[in-house]
Amino acid sequence: MIAHGKNATGSMPQRIVFWCLRIATYFVLACATYIFLDITIKGSRAVFITHPPFVNFAFLSQAPETLYVFDYEGKKTTMGDREFREWKTTHQIDDANVTSVAYSAGGIWPCIVGTALLVIGSMTFALLVGISSAIYLSEYSRNGRLVRLVRIAILNLAGVPSIVFGLFGFGLFVIFFGWNVSLLAGWFTLGLMVLPAIITASEESLRAVPQGLREGSLALGATQWQTIRKNVLPYALPGILTSSILGIARVAGETAPIMFTAAYAVRDTMPWNVSKWSEFPFQGVMALPYHIYVVSSKIPQNEYTARVQYGAAFVFLALVMLIALSSVLLRQRVRMRLQW
Amino acid sequence: MNGSTVTVTSPPAAHKVAARGGRTGEALIRLFFGGNAIIAVVVLVLITLFLFREGFGFFGGNLQNLRVYRSGGLEYVDIIRDQADANSALSRALSDVRVKELRGLMQKGRSLDEANGDLGAFDQFATAFSDAGTDLAGLVSDLTDQAAAVKEQTMLGSGAASVGPEDGETPSVTPAVAATVESIRASYPDYERITATMSEALRNLLANPPALTTPLAQEAFNRVNEKTREYLAAFPAQAERLRAWDPAKPVRWHQAITAFLFDQRWITASFWQDWYGIVPLLVGSIMVSIVALILAVPFGVASAIYVSEIATRPEQRLIKPYIEFIAAIPSVVLGFFGIAVVGQAIRTASESTWFHWVSFFPLSERLNVFTAGALLGLMAVPTIFTLSEDALRNVPRGFKEASYALGANRLQTIGRVIVPASLSGIMSAILLGLGRVIGETMVVLLCAGNRIAIPDFTQGLGAFFQPVHTMTGIIAQEMGEVVRGSIHYRALFMVGLVLFALTLLINLAAQRIAARYRMSIG
Amino acid sequence: MVTLEKMPDVISTPSIPPATEAPQKAQIEIKDFEFAYGENRVLHSVNLQILPRAVTAFIGPSGCGKTTLLRCINRMNDLVDSARVERGEILIDGININAPEIDVVDLRRRVGMVFQKSNPFPKSIYDNIAYGLRVAGVTKRSRINEAVETSLRSAALWDEVKDRLDRSGLSLSGGQQQRLCIARALAVEPEIILMDEPCSALDPIATARIEELIHELKTQYTIVIVTHNMQQASRCSDFTGFFYLGNLVEFANTAKIFSNPTRRQTEDYITGRFG
Ligand SMILES: Nc1ncnc2c1ncn2[C@@H]1O[C@H](COP(=O)(O)OP(=O)(O)OP(=O)(O)O)[C@@H](O)[C@H]1O
Ligand SMILES: [Mg+2]
Repeated sequence: MIAHGKNATGSMPQRIVFWCLRIATYFVLACATYIFLDITIKGSRAVFITHPPFVNFAFLSQAPETLYVFDYEGKKTTMGDREFREWKTTHQIDDANVTSVAYSAGGIWPCIVGTALLVIGSMTFALLVGISSAIYLSEYSRNGRLVRLVRIAILNLAGVPSIVFGLFGFGLFVIFFGWNVSLLAGWFTLGLMVLPAIITASEESLRAVPQGLREGSLALGATQWQTIRKNVLPYALPGILTSSILGIARVAGETAPIMFTAAYAVRDTMPWNVSKWSEFPFQGVMALPYHIYVVSSKIPQNEYTARVQYGAAFVFLALVMLIALSSVLLRQRVRMRLQW
Repeated sequence: MNGSTVTVTSPPAAHKVAARGGRTGEALIRLFFGGNAIIAVVVLVLITLFLFREGFGFFGGNLQNLRVYRSGGLEYVDIIRDQADANSALSRALSDVRVKELRGLMQKGRSLDEANGDLGAFDQFATAFSDAGTDLAGLVSDLTDQAAAVKEQTMLGSGAASVGPEDGETPSVTPAVAATVESIRASYPDYERITATMSEALRNLLANPPALTTPLAQEAFNRVNEKTREYLAAFPAQAERLRAWDPAKPVRWHQAITAFLFDQRWITASFWQDWYGIVPLLVGSIMVSIVALILAVPFGVASAIYVSEIATRPEQRLIKPYIEFIAAIPSVVLGFFGIAVVGQAIRTASESTWFHWVSFFPLSERLNVFTAGALLGLMAVPTIFTLSEDALRNVPRGFKEASYALGANRLQTIGRVIVPASLSGIMSAILLGLGRVIGETMVVLLCAGNRIAIPDFTQGLGAFFQPVHTMTGIIAQEMGEVVRGSIHYRALFMVGLVLFALTLLINLAAQRIAARYRMSIG
Repeated sequence: MVTLEKMPDVISTPSIPPATEAPQKAQIEIKDFEFAYGENRVLHSVNLQILPRAVTAFIGPSGCGKTTLLRCINRMNDLVDSARVERGEILIDGININAPEIDVVDLRRRVGMVFQKSNPFPKSIYDNIAYGLRVAGVTKRSRINEAVETSLRSAALWDEVKDRLDRSGLSLSGGQQQRLCIARALAVEPEIILMDEPCSALDPIATARIEELIHELKTQYTIVIVTHNMQQASRCSDFTGFFYLGNLVEFANTAKIFSNPTRRQTEDYITGRFG
């Protein structure tokens, strides 16, 4: 009997080696799973509650506040900043016995808003420029020296560390253009950072559109732009958008590029509270990843801070993972549908 | 064959194509897309340009900084300070000896009080030893005050950022500075007197060493003894250096560059002297990357081989997206996880009895090279996995089939045909993983411990369990606080430039290797 | 087996075909045309004249450059990076189509093309046909409706699809798809139609339909067709050119080529002794 294929049991050394490889693989998965579980379980305590409506909307909809901890009538009491000040007007408390923990009360609403704004703006920019570049590379360009240069630039840009993008954005947008720490600076910095990924993904999708469609269209007397608009882009777009979702995950997840271009550790006003709409893009925002950095490095780890630390990390991880998940699922569907 | 009536359209003679103004429109559209494609190039150029633009003034500023260091007499004071510090270091070594002796005594059954009593003679010796250095330390402290005051003056006067005298290497010195430097140098007789007393005191002490009972302590004490002798032997040379020291000796321009590239100190915002040496940061980055790769390469490559060659279909469909998922975990979340869980876990593990045999355990710092490296390793696994898996999958079927046809089993085929054929692809994957790791910011910022110092390599592998600071981390940490346009600010941009150049090189190497891979598999 | 040595250029340049009818002005004139993909010279000094309202067939063994020449007539080879005209010109109605002032879009509207592999757009049947008109700027619904019907009728497809014009073009059978492509080409009312092996993927019945269709279309259009099928060439073309290794070996009246070819190579090829 000849044993063959994947079901072959094989010799002893082969089995040992295969088991080692298998264990290594599953070890990696286990590590990641542990991280997901740890953050989910501990973070859920901040985000979910045991009674209806089961979601702690306060955490999601309030701004971060300082937490005050003190003993009152023999009971350990914790209060958020505003509540505490109000309470102090009616109660007597010795300030010396009150400890304050920054950021640990309230919620993370402004950070969610800021991250959403950053993602929307930078993805709009990156998609516009990225798809346009990809159209040029796949539809218009001949393999000249310039195109080679562009390709090399894209490859290398993809490897530039995000902190260097941060420095660059700081030097160019914040200082040279004088935009200060602002949404605008963040949009461009983040947008340029994901640009290579978007160009590569878009070009791949464009090239997957069969050449016959282009030839058929051109042979009917369509101009090149008509061909692209009516007969290439519509079929490439689903692929482009799904691969770009991973770009969203990346933009949302990066901290280093926005540290000195767009993010504030604390900002009391919400982005839409501007006197003139023209000022809107010129304001900095709070952002979820930066907030996580701040709360995990600037305040101690203890029972009072764990709520906001794990809560913010959990909400953020869940958001990014949802985005990544939808990308993976959508891509499988698009691949299935677009079999030429 | 008929059934369908064929009517033919009106004759094409009627067809007159109107000239459409489309051609310029088309050209414009093409130009628009081309312009967008150029953006990638422009951005790369701009990044280089702005890093240079902001970082460029650094060398001028640093040169000025170094010149003030010399002309203001700070260098002179530091020579003496080194000498004083060396004495304190020896004193500290003595306390280590004491700890060893104490332990030894207690193992012999003496109680703590008894043992402390036994050490009376030793303590006397140690106190005398450190007292010998008191005068020198006092001198240093006096001189420091003088020099610091004059430094403040010069820096205020000339403006910290602007480069002073243009006439090259001879710094212009204001009379006040000259006077201070003179008064500092006038302390030389004091110095000679103090060191003479000191060396005599130390010699006397060494002549009558305290008796020690444990061999371990004795051994350590002998080492201190040896070092002290060397230390004393260097006194004349030290004095010679002071005599030969010349505030007017030129500081050449290239020293600003060598100081950046090779100096082992990164000290900023100090009242005394700022040093911008990239070495500790570079060493930190490299050590973290080494740990990360040592962990990520075996796991990444192993899982790539497993998924592409061994796993069943359903397994593949589960594992591949899952590992892509790992790539999507935001680095700040991983960093937080490192602080909240991993660091503590590593320290707890180091305290367990299982690891007693490890010389450098238990750890004192929970955030260290290893903590950051372990997390970065997890981040690098997806990169290495995905690209290696691609390379393995692209090995032509023919290779595999030929190997099976010759009677090789799967293990032999994988080990002798598939992996070698895709080796350059895997190498390129590893390099790209390295690029990712070295450029990663948040994990190292949160988990590497942020101590700006080259770890103590005498501890061997223990060096990998000490806190470090990294290039990415320092930029992220200090950029927000520096004064725009200051030397410090520019130094951070220079660090960024080094980082940029480094990742660019790694990337180019990876591309080269990948190109070779594509050629080799045809 | 006969081996063919490479033809010297002189031989591959036939005189103007002996026309049986009254001499007519050629619509497409190919003069001393040489064409290359990169370093690879694919066409060597081709000279030939194509008459209006007639079917001209190109035959020859695989890789001899038939498709290349066909694609040169509507400059489809512009899409190929390495493609280059080395020498000579192609004139349509006396105008050099490779001249810089020529608008390719306009040229392609006048010279329609049907590809070897049918390539309907992944749109509805209706939209497939309307496409050419829409890109030409026709917006009037009634005019498009009319064109869709007439061209589908011309392509002998109307009866089969008239109830499902909104179905995807890809849902048709291979033969129907090819006829859809022909209809699509007809809808923009070109003067010349180039067909590259339009029947290569079709069964005999579908092939017969398309041949019949070509016969009908001949009264209105100039048709150039590439085929590997000798019977097809002899059945439906008026003139035939035989290509070999990038040379036009012989070009003449179809009847003459198939009954009395002047060159050995032609005879060997059409009698199936090689190729
Ligand atoms: N896009 C291209 N790039 C480079 N070379 C090409 C290209 N298209 C065709 N060729 C080459 O040009 C030569 C002629 O090709 P062509 O397609 O014109 O042949 P053909 O006569 O149509 O053959 P067939 O009967 O198989 O369709 C061939 O040698 C082919 O390799
Ligand atoms: Mg062909």
